[in-house]
Amino acid sequence: MAADIAAADLVPFRWPATWTDPRHIALFEGGPVNCLLFDGPAGAIADAARKAGLSVIYWNSLNAAKLADINWNAPVPIVTVTGLVWPRMQAAAGGGDQAASGPTGAPWIDSTSWVARLAAARAGGKQIWLDFAPPKDEAPPGDAAYRVAVADAASTGARWALTLDPKLSAGLAAGSAGALKTWKSITAALSFFEQHKPWRSYQHQGPLGVVSTFAGEHEFMATEFLNLAARRNLLYRVIDRSRLASADLGGLRAVIWLDQELPPPEAVPKLAEFARAGGLLIVSQTAAPAFKGEGSLDCPVAGYGLRSLGKGTVAAAVRDWDDPYFLAADAHNLVSRRYDPVRMFNGSSYWVHYSVAPDGRDGLIQLVSFGTASRGGGAGGAEVSLRIARNHRSVALHTLDAEPVPLQPVTVGQNIEYRLPQFATYAALEVKA
Amino acid sequence: MTRREMLVTAGAALAAPRIRAAQAPTAPVALARCDSYGPAVLPVLRKMFDQIGGIGRLVKGKTVAVKLNLTGNPDIRVGTIPIESTNWTHPDVISAAVALFAQAGAARIRLLESPWKSAEPLEEYMISAGWEPRDFVSAAGKARLEFENTNFLGRGKQYHRFPVPNGGHLFPAFDLNHSYYDCDVFVSIGKLKEHRTAGVTMSMKNCFGITPCTIYGDGAGEDEPGLVPRGGRNPIHAGTRQPSKSSPPEKDPTSPREGGYRVPRCVADLVAARPVHLAIIDGIESIAGGEVGGQVQHYVQPHVLVAGTNTVCVDAVGAAVMGFDPMADRGVKPFEQADSTLRLAEELGVGTRDLNRIEVIGEKIAGVVCDYRKARSVNGVPGGWPGRAPGGAAPARGGRRG
Repeated sequence: MAADIAAADLVPFRWPATWTDPRHIALFEGGPVNCLLFDGPAGAIADAARKAGLSVIYWNSLNAAKLADINWNAPVPIVTVTGLVWPRMQAAAGGGDQAASGPTGAPWIDSTSWVARLAAARAGGKQIWLDFAPPKDEAPPGDAAYRVAVADAASTGARWALTLDPKLSAGLAAGSAGALKTWKSITAALSFFEQHKPWRSYQHQGPLGVVSTFAGEHEFMATEFLNLAARRNLLYRVIDRSRLASADLGGLRAVIWLDQELPPPEAVPKLAEFARAGGLLIVSQTAAPAFKGEGSLDCPVAGYGLRSLGKGTVAAAVRDWDDPYFLAADAHNLVSRRYDPVRMFNGSSYWVHYSVAPDGRDGLIQLVSFGTASRGGGAGGAEVSLRIARNHRSVALHTLDAEPVPLQPVTVGQNIEYRLPQFATYAALEVKA
Repeated sequence: MTRREMLVTAGAALAAPRIRAAQAPTAPVALARCDSYGPAVLPVLRKMFDQIGGIGRLVKGKTVAVKLNLTGNPDIRVGTIPIESTNWTHPDVISAAVALFAQAGAARIRLLESPWKSAEPLEEYMISAGWEPRDFVSAAGKARLEFENTNFLGRGKQYHRFPVPNGGHLFPAFDLNHSYYDCDVFVSIGKLKEHRTAGVTMSMKNCFGITPCTIYGDGAGEDEPGLVPRGGRNPIHAGTRQPSKSSPPEKDPTSPREGGYRVPRCVADLVAARPVHLAIIDGIESIAGGEVGGQVQHYVQPHVLVAGTNTVCVDAVGAAVMGFDPMADRGVKPFEQADSTLRLAEELGVGTRDLNRIEVIGEKIAGVVCDYRKARSVNGVPGGWPGRAPGGAAPARGGRRG
């Protein structure tokens, strides 16, 4: 690794094995990519890269691994997660323009963002790189699909180890105009996020803290919860159970203990104190005996018993959790949508990220659009409107290829909404306090 | 007996006994202009209730169950128009009705709906649309206001069985959430809409949603009701399966599996089994062209409210306001691809659809007609059956009463 570029600033690219000409290094001149990843010895190409001021990293040195196999405590500055899906909206089985639907009727979206959020929580300040490649045996992705892949990772503060499909890498090697156009489109997206580097330090927020080991027997339920909760716009803060003692629960309305086992004795006081101070603690049936609670309350959500505990409450499942989709819905209902930081209409093809500046003042709402014109994600088409819960002074809309523009609020009944102009791939709403 | 005669005889045995149309009951219907939502609704609705004889006799000291129409995904709008101005009963109409029930002495008011595929609290469903459920609590004043999602067992200990008088068309009886039983008065507040399966949806079709998906939905339990809904009402629409075995199956499992046959019959059976004491249609703002998300929808502003104590009479007036003949039946608009729910309910003795037998108080129908088909005309040609338009024509905006 080159010593002169900090790990936090590396923008990685997986060098195609078919590229044997060092002159391809010229592609990176003046662009955002500053780190080449080689699968094996690269000889003259690596030398040329270093001479051009690029960092060179050999893939094996990254100790890249699947989520379940990562050594989170390894003394490395970068955690690289492999085995990830290509971010996209799933087409229906019949193909064509129809999107496959999830249980909500909303289009089914494959996103790596929840993996990045989880990895960031478990890796404790390390850089998160995501490794995924365009699907094989399918038509190569177009410009927009590559930009979605970039934005899906970048909106969480992670970086995609940019990997080209064989057709694009061959086209670039041959100097094809179409391939170069796609390349420029990809690098423009990368540049946008590098130009907004401070956003990477924003803390992802939501009303719910999600506590689990996210591993072993808890892995499926906990990771699917992260995926499906985010998909339904139940925004959360990931809390690695092993770091619960030092976790900041401030600002959360609720905490869910996802693991279907009793919490260890050292975890109980912190969780109970959260409830006593006015929070809602949601626990599995198995974990419930650790939190006796006080008076029984009417619980609006089927399948849970609600008891008071100090100023707060404990909602204990009365059945084992067996379906993360229903669990995410239950949690959302228990927390209440009233506390959603962002409420979006006609946004079913968007993945929403909400984060707050380190000083807690400004907010950032990032929207990654997985839809195309023909997969608009609902009857309303692309006319997206949204409400922002936090008090704010102004909202500016940033898109990948245009200067930021102020958004004007619209009064709808007793509420203020913002109507988003058409945009492709990605938009960020900078919410100024 | 010939084979044909035998089939006819067998069919007659299965068919619901038909009440002569002339014998179907009638009741006055109040029809009023209401130019906007907001504070304008309450005085208009109050006058309408007075016009139909007042509601004090109906609700004083009683538990009033109010079935709302909150059909479709609350996250999806027609353009940027809030869903209450297109698909859903508007909260201002609900608040006005709640306030008037409370002022008339209702002891308890329960707002009911069965949100699609979901057991989530009704309040949460409302919040999803950007509503504030506490507004309804405020509107109720001293009356107790409750919310219940009736798509499953909910707060009840058991489902309650409602036999269909006169035999029913599709089902002999329904098992429903306790809220439809534990009430003295049942109110249906529908929306003035077209519907891609039944042609129109107003106060009667609104009652399709009282069926719990834990029994009548995809994913319902085979033997017993499911704990929570795991699918929509496709089994009723398409006859893909029977209800949970704990509930009465449909009368004739060999009957057509077509939605245009089944849904109107099911709706007629439901309003016969669970009589509607007060029907209200929100036609201030709405959509033409189908109520279901994913359809081409056209925002319209008929600026009317319709109310009465007979749900068939109210819907007959509503249909006429939309530019349709309530006496029409399959093959004629708005029933090109469906049997008439109005006729089927009339046959069960619920009420008459014959405008000659219905006293309309307030506005004259001719003065407030908002022709839904013309509202979604293309190049001057009125729209047809509500469904996906060829080529996916963009929604029209601001169709107004002509």
